[in-house]
Formats: sequence, C-alpha cells, structure tokens
Amino acid sequence: MRPCGVADETYEKDMAIVRTWQHWTILLCTLAVLYTFPLYGSYYFISLINYLSRVIIIVLGLQLVSGHCGQISFGQVAFMAVGAYGSAIFTTTLDIPFLLALPLSGLLAGTIGIIGGAPSLRIKGFYLSIATLAIHFVLMWLILHVEFLGANRGLTCPPAKIGPLVFDTEEKMYYLFVTVMLIMTFGAKNIERSHVGRAFVAIRDNDLAAEVMGINLFYYKLLAFFISCFYAGVAGSLMAHQNLVIHPDQFTLLTAIEYVGMIIVGGMGSIPGVFFGVIFIVGLNELVMTFTPLLAGWFPLLGAGFTASIGVIVFGAVVALFLLFEPYGVAHRWEIFKTSYRLYPFARSG
Amino acid sequence: MVPLIELVFGGIMIGGLYALVAAAVVIVYKSTHVVSIAHGQLLAFGALFFHFFIVDLALSPVIGLVLALICSAIMSILIERFTLRPLIGQPLFTAFMMTFALFIALDGVFQMILKGRVRPYPSLFSQATIELGSITIPKIQLLSFFATIIIFFGLALLFKYTGTGLSMRAAAEGHQLAQSAGVSVRKVFSVVWAVSAIVAAVVGIATAFVMDISYPLPYIGIKGIIVALCGGLDSLSGAFIIGILLGVTEQLGAGYLDPIVGGGLEDVTGYVMLLIIMLIRPYGLFGLVRIERI
Repeated sequence: MRPCGVADETYEKDMAIVRTWQHWTILLCTLAVLYTFPLYGSYYFISLINYLSRVIIIVLGLQLVSGHCGQISFGQVAFMAVGAYGSAIFTTTLDIPFLLALPLSGLLAGTIGIIGGAPSLRIKGFYLSIATLAIHFVLMWLILHVEFLGANRGLTCPPAKIGPLVFDTEEKMYYLFVTVMLIMTFGAKNIERSHVGRAFVAIRDNDLAAEVMGINLFYYKLLAFFISCFYAGVAGSLMAHQNLVIHPDQFTLLTAIEYVGMIIVGGMGSIPGVFFGVIFIVGLNELVMTFTPLLAGWFPLLGAGFTASIGVIVFGAVVALFLLFEPYGVAHRWEIFKTSYRLYPFARSG
Repeated sequence: MVPLIELVFGGIMIGGLYALVAAAVVIVYKSTHVVSIAHGQLLAFGALFFHFFIVDLALSPVIGLVLALICSAIMSILIERFTLRPLIGQPLFTAFMMTFALFIALDGVFQMILKGRVRPYPSLFSQATIELGSITIPKIQLLSFFATIIIFFGLALLFKYTGTGLSMRAAAEGHQLAQSAGVSVRKVFSVVWAVSAIVAAVVGIATAFVMDISYPLPYIGIKGIIVALCGGLDSLSGAFIIGILLGVTEQLGAGYLDPIVGGGLEDVTGYVMLLIIMLIRPYGLFGLVRIERI
C-alpha cells in the first residue's frame, strides 16, 4: 500500500512484502503491542487472541487449498484432529519434545491429507466438497473406534514444554501461539507469492488450461492438500496442548463449515482475508454470546433453546448475506480502499 | 443375530426413503444445476409442519398432510426466490455454499423450535406388523415404501409427459435457450423447488413416524446428497437404485460388521461408498459424463 506517485524502481522493491518506512513503523508497533499485550491486557482478551491465533493458522491452510487452489475442503477439522491426536501421542507415549512434536504432527496430518486429497485428482467442485465431507466422517469414525487413540474416552496431553519453559497458563501460551501464528502467516504469504502460489491460482481458475501450460496437476493439487493439512495439524497440536484433553466430540462438522464460512466472509484467495474473516466471525460469535443471554432475559418466551441456537442462525445468515451482496468478501473492500488510497488526490469518491 | 432376509428387507424399506430424498435433490439439480444441501432442512420442517397441524391444531391426518405439504412448498419457493434466484449467473459453487449457509441457519431455527427435546409422533398407525413367511415388517414401513414407489412413478411421468416436465427439461438444457423459446425459467424454478420440497416433506413425515422429530432428522438430507452423487446427479433411476443399495448395505454392515468393529458403522457406510464410487466413476454410476472445454 503506497501513496500516489511512489513507484517501484528495482525488482527487490517490487517483490517486498513490507514496502515503505511507514509500513515498517506500523509493523514494528503492532508487533510491540502484540508481544507486550499480556502485561496489561485482560485475561479475556488474552485467551481470545489465543483462540484467534489457532483459528487463523487453520484457516490459512484452508485458504491456500480452497481460496488459492480452488479445492473447497470440509475435511480441515478432521485433519486438525489428526494433528491433535498425533501430538498427544508423540509427547506422551513416544516422549518426543514439544518443539519437535509440533512440526511432526503437522507432517503427520499433511501425509494423511495427501491420501485425503487423492479424490481431487478425479473430481472437482461440489463433488470434491462432498468427498472431503465424507473423509471428515470416516476419519472421525476411525478415531472414535481405534482403541489405541483412546476411543470414546479421549486422550490426555501434557502442557507444551520448550526446555525449561512450561506453557501452562493462557498468558504463557499467548507467546507460543502468537509466535507460531506469525511464522505460519509469513510462510503462507510466501507460498502465495512464489511459483507454487501462482500454480495454485492457475489450477483454481481453469485446471485444464493450467495443465496445458505445463503445471503438473497431480503434484500441485496434492501439494495444496499437504500444505493445508500441515497447517491444520500444527493448529491441532497447539489445541491439544492448550485443552490438555482431546476428545472426538471437539471436532465437529459444524466447525469445518464455520472455517469455510470464514474464508467466504474474509475473501477467497487472500491472506489478509483470512484475518478479516476469522476476526469477523469470531467477533460476531462473541457478540452473540454476550448479548443473547440479555435478550433471553428480557423475553423469557424465547426459552433456553434460543441462546443455544442463535449463534448458528446468525452465522448462517451472515454467510448467506455475504454470498448475496459481497461475494468477494471483506478483502475486496480492503483492496478497493488500497486502490483509492493509491489514487488519492485523483480518484473520485463513489 | 437378525436373519439376513430381514436385514435386506429392512434395508430396502429405509433405502426407499434415502432414494426419495435423493430424488428431491436430483430434480432440483436437473433443472437448476444447483446441488442443494438445504433439502435436509426442508424435510425436517415438513415433519414439523405435519406435527403442528395434527397435534397442536388437532386436524385430521389427511387435511394435516395436505396443509403440511403446502406449507413446505411455500417455504421452499420463498427460499428459492430470496436466496438462490439472486445468484443466477454467479458460479455454481456460490449457490452450493448458499444452500450450506441455509442448512446451518435453518438448523439453528429447527433446534430452537425443538428446544433440545424429542417431539414424539402420534401413533396414527398401530404397531401392526405384517408376516411375510419368516419375516415381519412394520406396516408403516411398508406403507412409506409404497408411497416412495408411487412418487417415483409420478416424478418420472411428470418429467416425461407433462408440459411442465417438458419445460423443466428445457430449462435444464440451458436457461437462455429455454427462455428464448418461451419457457418462463423463473416459473420453472419455483415449480421445481415446490415439487422437491413436497417430496422432501413426505420423506420427513414418513421418517418421523419411525424415529420421531429429533436432533439428527435434517442429517438424513446429507444421506440423500450422497445417494444422489453416487447415482449421478441427473439420474432419477440412479437415485432409486443407489438409495435402495445404500439402505441394504447399511443394514448388512450394521448387522454383520458392527459386533466386530464396535458399532456406528451405519453412519459411515454411505461415505465410504461415496468415496469408492467417486474414484471409479466421478459422475456417479448412472450420471451423464460431462465433456469439458477449456
């Protein structure tokens, strides 16, 4: 985002993520605020940011496979479960240190994700979506019925530990979650702007044309699934070490649909869109959670079922409204804002 | 252990209902090219409307049935008018996601109405069973199976011989072509959604007689989608055959494999079947293979 009249003079400048000294200032200030937040922030916001970071990691993966590569996947939550269970087993049974177990559980989820992504070679569009939905149910069924994975009782998991540091409170976990989230965002941004990201976009826009242009569909589709499941696995691992107990009931189809809703609201195929979408939907949920008990108090006729289901109704309605009125998501508004800033004195408003 | 023949018969009866949901999805796809997940909710609301009319208002079952079907049809037409019609011309995937959003939102409404309880259905039919040789079949299942077959024939006749059916098939070929030939595509869409909602509501009511109105009722719609995909999205006969096949497979799996793997196989049989069929024939067993151009 540059003001009017500033142009790139070298290739390095054109490729830079952070372009101007104003950007550097904003970035460093944001990082400073982010990393000092637990010193003065309230417990509520700290745990909210922990939750947001975890969801952002998983939705980044979904954005790469669905937004960029065009393979809409409802299986993301099941792969998060794979990562969570993997991490729990790595750190307890196999006694692997957490710092190693985190990427390992990502790799495990990614490897299984390649198998899950295999149908994408034959089918596409909503056929593939329903197939990933099927994969979700089959994987969750397997987890629920394998004795080794705790079956119906779930698994317990120790808090994350790096050397002498033990991340056992929300404030301590905050640093871990935010750091992992920033690294993963940087990774996703770089995947997006490298040749891999361009190959994904080509496949999304027209896979036959992409193949004619020399993009190996087999390799890149599976790579997209691998990357997205890697992200899901890492998020799952973080979740396991945050909740300390994991159970198949924590991984529902509704959550998977919610993640897809987040990329629709945020904007398909845009990394900032992930942040917009996640913050929008999670913020909306928090608002609903705060206000519906009040509403239910004022109108007792609505009953107890009201508070439980209003969040789902609002979510469905918001996604529907976005599809009707802003199918490109919040990120589209952001792009419009950036362009008008770039053209500022010359652009006409409206 | 339940004898084989009883499992097969039970499977056929349940499969008929799956086939009917799939038929509702298929007729929408055939003329609008929208794959609708929202039918699961249309089905659940059909059951709710029927319950409302005959229990809360104490109307006679026949009037209640007619009113419930009319209500579902109106609800479905409203859904089509206000959420899906504005999306004409957008990528098909947008419409698919829209039905997902509808499913979620309506699920919230459905749970809100249920308030976490189960609504027992009135026992209009006694628990009478019919003895056929060595097997016993509940009368209600037999009745709903016959209803299934009649509805399937009705749908086939509708598509093949009536003017409405002809315009539906024309709209399926191409919206602009049909419009320029004098077919009102909007009217066709409304009619299609109304018909499919009526079919879905019949399934909902028939299912509710067996399992009452409870939390998982809308999810039968997802089974219907699976059947429709496996059979081919534009094939009514495929929906019928695969529906029955899925019902039988589920029952056999539940009867023979559940003791070995520890239960719950009924829920995943359909998904495994879907994955296998999708890998072998991506457009379903009886679906039309589409040839794409770049």
